[in-house]
Amino acid sequence: MKVSVRWLRDYVDVPTEDPDELAEVFSSLGHEVEGYEVLDLQFSGVIVGRVEEVSPHPNADKLRLCRVTTGGDPQDIVCGAWNFEAGAIVPVSVPGAVLAGGLEVGVRALRGIESHGMICSAAELGLGDDHSGIMVLDPEVEVGTKFAELVPLPDVVFDLSITPNRPDAMSMLGIARDLGAYYRLPVRIPAGSLIEVEPESRVKVTLEDPHGCPRYVGREVKDVKVAASPLWMQLRLRSAGIRPINNIVDITNYVLLETGQPLHGFDLDHVAGEEIIVRRAEPGETLRTLDGVDRELSVWDLVITDASGVVAFAGVMGGETSEVSDGTTRVLIEAAHFDPPSVMFTAKRHDLRTEASSRFERGVDPNLPGRAAERAAALMVELAGGRAVAGVQDNYPEVIEPWPVELDLKEIPRLLGIELDREVVIDLLSLIGFESTGQNPLVVTVPTFRPDVRRPADLVEEVARIHGYDKIPETLPVGPGGGLTEAQLTERRLRGLMTGLGFSEAQNWSFVGTEDLENLGLSADDLRRRGIAVRNPLRDLEPLLRTTLLAGLLKSVRFNASHGADRLALFEIGKVFLAEPSPIDARIPNQPDRLAFVAVGEFGSPQVKGGHSIADVYTATATWRALVETLGIPDAVLRQGSPAGFHPGRAADVLVGGTIVGSVGELHPAVVRSFGLEGRVAAGELALEPLVASRSWWVFQEPSTYPPVVFDLAFDLDATVPSRALVELVTESAGEWLESVRVFDEFTGPSLGEGRKSIAVQVWFRAPDHTLTNEEVAPHRDRIVNRVEDSLDAHLRGGT
Amino acid sequence: MDQLKTLLATAPDRIQAAPNLEALREVENQLLGRKSLVAESRRSLASLPSEERPVVGAQLNEAHQRLTALIEGRRADLERIAEDGLLLGDRVDVTLPARELRLGWHHLVTQTLDEVADIFVSLGYGVVTGPEVDTAWHNFDALNTPPTHPSRLESDTMYVDYGNPDDELLLRTQTSTMQVRYMEQHDPPVYIVAPGRCYRADTLDATHSPVFHQIEGLAVDENISMADLKGTLAHFMREFLGSERKIRLLPHFFPFTEPSAEMHVSCFNCDGSGCRVCGKSGWIELLGCGVVDPHVLEAVGYDTSKYSGFAFGVGAERLAMVRHGINHIKHFYENDLRVLRQFT
Repeated sequence: MKVSVRWLRDYVDVPTEDPDELAEVFSSLGHEVEGYEVLDLQFSGVIVGRVEEVSPHPNADKLRLCRVTTGGDPQDIVCGAWNFEAGAIVPVSVPGAVLAGGLEVGVRALRGIESHGMICSAAELGLGDDHSGIMVLDPEVEVGTKFAELVPLPDVVFDLSITPNRPDAMSMLGIARDLGAYYRLPVRIPAGSLIEVEPESRVKVTLEDPHGCPRYVGREVKDVKVAASPLWMQLRLRSAGIRPINNIVDITNYVLLETGQPLHGFDLDHVAGEEIIVRRAEPGETLRTLDGVDRELSVWDLVITDASGVVAFAGVMGGETSEVSDGTTRVLIEAAHFDPPSVMFTAKRHDLRTEASSRFERGVDPNLPGRAAERAAALMVELAGGRAVAGVQDNYPEVIEPWPVELDLKEIPRLLGIELDREVVIDLLSLIGFESTGQNPLVVTVPTFRPDVRRPADLVEEVARIHGYDKIPETLPVGPGGGLTEAQLTERRLRGLMTGLGFSEAQNWSFVGTEDLENLGLSADDLRRRGIAVRNPLRDLEPLLRTTLLAGLLKSVRFNASHGADRLALFEIGKVFLAEPSPIDARIPNQPDRLAFVAVGEFGSPQVKGGHSIADVYTATATWRALVETLGIPDAVLRQGSPAGFHPGRAADVLVGGTIVGSVGELHPAVVRSFGLEGRVAAGELALEPLVASRSWWVFQEPSTYPPVVFDLAFDLDATVPSRALVELVTESAGEWLESVRVFDEFTGPSLGEGRKSIAVQVWFRAPDHTLTNEEVAPHRDRIVNRVEDSLDAHLRGGT
Repeated sequence: MDQLKTLLATAPDRIQAAPNLEALREVENQLLGRKSLVAESRRSLASLPSEERPVVGAQLNEAHQRLTALIEGRRADLERIAEDGLLLGDRVDVTLPARELRLGWHHLVTQTLDEVADIFVSLGYGVVTGPEVDTAWHNFDALNTPPTHPSRLESDTMYVDYGNPDDELLLRTQTSTMQVRYMEQHDPPVYIVAPGRCYRADTLDATHSPVFHQIEGLAVDENISMADLKGTLAHFMREFLGSERKIRLLPHFFPFTEPSAEMHVSCFNCDGSGCRVCGKSGWIELLGCGVVDPHVLEAVGYDTSKYSGFAFGVGAERLAMVRHGINHIKHFYENDLRVLRQFT
């Protein structure tokens, strides 16, 4: 909300000229300052003139030729604006004048006609950003007056962000009330005596939906003369960001800004039957609103109707048929109270947010309409020559009274951490219009302009706000001792390990497209293909919640590849969303955490002198083994497999405790191509939970102080036998002194024959209590060889 | 014995003057060899009178030891110099990045969430996480946000098609859901922080992303007050942005806190005098907070006459952007390695 300080001074004697100080005050009251603008005169030499004559420009269709007097002989002025006719009172910059932005005005030929100055728009005078037409002044202003004398400047205009709980502060008086409380100054509420004329108004108001419209005040003013409103009012409206239209509309807007009560002015001669009925719209009804748009109404829309049909959206916008126009003489001022949700939904449904709707949807004081209508009528009498008609219609079936809220004074120290005496609390509350009685609890009467204050906590907030949040001390409570869980600590180690292995951590948005899931080669019956749809997705291409982290990572890798990056190794830890009930709450989908990684191209430690390795299946399996060894994941197994989306011959299922927890390997070349990449892509996706799950404590093993016996065994065996089977068999058959078995060579070739391969292992034996001799180890070595040869259709090719 | 004295006086210089191991061996031979003064004097000991023999013998032994020590010291030096000379042949350009140990970088969001969590862990808080798809009840109703509140509209909140339509499943718009989920399961006292991912139907601009991260703090205990909130946030800010930081709370509005506040921290760049970082105000608006609204405590069945609490929520990206001068929130989600490598 835009707040002119000069305008505020109508209501409260703001004791500072310093905008920065005032900004601090607004902030401390809870009205966030988005900014402020210091306004001053930006022109000189502008005189009030009258347009005597308007004729077409002989050489230009878009220009007109005006005869304008500023007190002396009329001069020709060429003008491009069309929002005025002969007789209009206007600001004229005569030759020698300087306009906002420094433009010096002289005598200038425009399309062959000499123009002796300019008729000015608000923007040209630095009084707003309205370029749409020239300023048309109140007809009462005397021609020849220096325009600068009419302009109430300098001024400071604040842009305040009003929180949704404070509809009362969406008005000059509301802001003045808070400033008054802060500075302990009285607030002046404008009130004039309204003289009404007989006979009584014939306007009849019926509330068919008193829930949607608990109160409707209709007040008639007749004999108005529609014209431009006075300059001061125009400028105040402009300072608030509202374009002046004419005196009647301007007055309704002015009173809205002053009091916070939205008003509507109907041309009473166009209200059929002089009858107002407030009801819900009926199916098929339509309304052409003031913005010229035809709108189809829903049965949820609350509308104002006359004898012939709908004339306005209640609390949002009026209709064209009953709009106040230049010929209007009888005005019906509507000041009503509407149900906030009803206004909100109509505004949303028709995408129409107005000054009125933004106030009604937050809750306007139900006891304001009477006063606001009277204020508007008084201004119409004063500024538009109107006469207020007796017989105001005020339909208010159930009067809403101020309500009591009990406040136990112990709540102040309990919730704020400060001690305040009862008298201080009473005083603070009285500053914002809350009256208190009683000892303890206090019984506080809350005025109806504060619909947000209903409970003791709400009063506590008001006490704190007016007392000042800055007066609350700082104390530091300490919890009972929390700390990270084992899983949280392990996850951190896991992330540290992944970065240590060369992967950088990525964060992708949680959405995927149907096509992404197809491209990943997931079969139709895979749970991961049935992504949960977002009803209002951000991007049509990604309407689903991700069921895998790989799609996002592959896109990130491609993004980086397109920038020529060379360390294409990323990992991500995050949730996927599966269409099955969550174990923690069956109402919501399962949302397990996953770890995924992708590496493409050079990986590991490239060397200027010497080569580098290219990421492949073994990069993926090595990454998995590093996780297992470093995190101490028990019972972890890597098994040749063909997980969806992976290369059928270069991928593995990984198992923990006998359950598949994910896959590692190279992605299928078709998947790689579909994500715009090429070459081998090492990848893996694993459930996080088993990786970080709590483990039993490990038990220390004393390292032997005796030397080992080490020997190598190379076997010729079937090419389909996995090396893991060989290692397991060696381990099983080695006996108690076995320390380790490690594969150190594998090859195939003509010397071995079709379908055969060679695998060599190095075996370490060591006893805890003595030095082993070759003779001691020999029978064990023989047993290993025999078992392998028998069980794996292998034969020993050589050994040491 | 004057000869021996002279010898001992001149020997150190002779030994030090030996330019290499060969020359040192020559000097050693002259000083201690078979034909040296020391050796010859020893051989002639027998010819001395018996009363002089021990005295002269001791002098000769001492001289021998001193000379040996000097020679060995010089030899060690010369050997080191000789090896260094050899090693120079093995010289390389150490500034050549011949071999890289390629490590990755932690994402700034997780770094920030971890850092904030650790500050609160040190204050005795626990760290809890939970679902991102949640019920409207956990995200709104239990947090005192009525069904008509505009934030529940599809223009603000993303809803998902799953489960019972009555549950109105959505992508949580705030980690405050974890306040509710945690308090449903645990009795007071509660001291937790809840880091995690949140979603809003925002269009991406410099400071808003539809996907972002928050960390929520919640303390519920007997007599937890706004003063406790202020002290806790002040501690948090001093840990995160420097020990000189001051904070201020300004009244604000959130459905789930009453009183509510916006916390501003004194600018770490200009220390409050006004600069580009703080928009000349000296203060940086950083987070929303307040005393937990009684409706929230009632929704999870807590006795509001006995327990009170405070809560705050802060954006991880916002914290990181402020501290590191990051100009656009998109940088957190493009996973551009040129950006990630800055996350040191």
